Amino acid sequence: MINTNSVLDAKGLACPMPIVKTKKAMNGLEAGEVLEVQATDKGSTADMKAWAESTGHQYLGTVEEGTTLKHYLRKASGEETEVKKHEKIISNEELLQVMEENRNMIILDVRESAEYAFNHIPAAKSLPLGELEQRMGELDKESEIFVICRTGSRSDLAAQKLTAAGFEQVFNVVPGMSQWNGPSQKSVNE
Amino acid sequence: MTNKVAIIASNGGLFDAYKVFNIATAAAATDQEVSIFFTFEGLNFIHKEANGQLPMPDGKEHFAEGFKKANVPSIPELVTMAQEMGVKFIGCQMTMDVMGLEKEAFVDSIEVGGAVTFLEFAKDADVTLTF
Repeated sequence: MINTNSVLDAKGLACPMPIVKTKKAMNGLEAGEVLEVQATDKGSTADMKAWAESTGHQYLGTVEEGTTLKHYLRKASGEETEVKKHEKIISNEELLQVMEENRNMIILDVRESAEYAFNHIPAAKSLPLGELEQRMGELDKESEIFVICRTGSRSDLAAQKLTAAGFEQVFNVVPGMSQWNGPSQKSVNE
Repeated sequence: MTNKVAIIASNGGLFDAYKVFNIATAAAATDQEVSIFFTFEGLNFIHKEANGQLPMPDGKEHFAEGFKKANVPSIPELVTMAQEMGVKFIGCQMTMDVMGLEKEAFVDSIEVGGAVTFLEFAKDADVTLTF
């Protein structure tokens, strides 16, 4: 079960209907929100990938449940262009080195849970940016916290929020999961 | 990143209609600007009475069951959907004159024009298809 902002039932529909309905459903979402599309059209997996590619949305992955294909898409947010403000930054490569040192540390993944489900660093804790303020209490103030997202923008915001809340050793990992080539895993069966 | 897709529909069979409207609606759903020029038998696709009873190719009538089973939308449904998504329809004036048809016989909000109307749109299209 993956949390999403909206679910679209396109089961039983033939091409091009799953795409047509996806387009309509996506119009109703806010930037950065995640849509689950349920379809039985076997061609829909290739179509969803291609559609996301041409429209600029993010295709996260597909889970097969019996004859139903569940596709996960995240609405384009334009976050790549934002200026990063949090000063403590480390690169993906530096994070990999830190991981090898077995320090008292938390890798905090602030992407949506659907993004985390399809690809994340094995030790990373999932805490979507939208839930950060309510769930901040789960984090240990004595640990170093390495905040990661897809491109470094949401993690920048999260790092600022954590710093404002009194966390002192907070680092933004740049660029983040979009360029990650260290160990990774998924928590869904594709 | 909007692309332009220009389609010429000149054959009037049911299979031809699906090729035209599936590509057109898929393109429109992918944020492309789509225009279809309906000429000769292709005009039947947007004719209010004809488009509900387009013929299957000879000897292929048994596919009717497959269409039903696959839950494929009807051509009139695809026509409405395409228009809702902003696909532009251009009916060929010359064909309409030859066949003695008036604009009222066709679905609403079509544009009627000659070859140049379509060429004006198609001249900078990224994809041009003929069915």
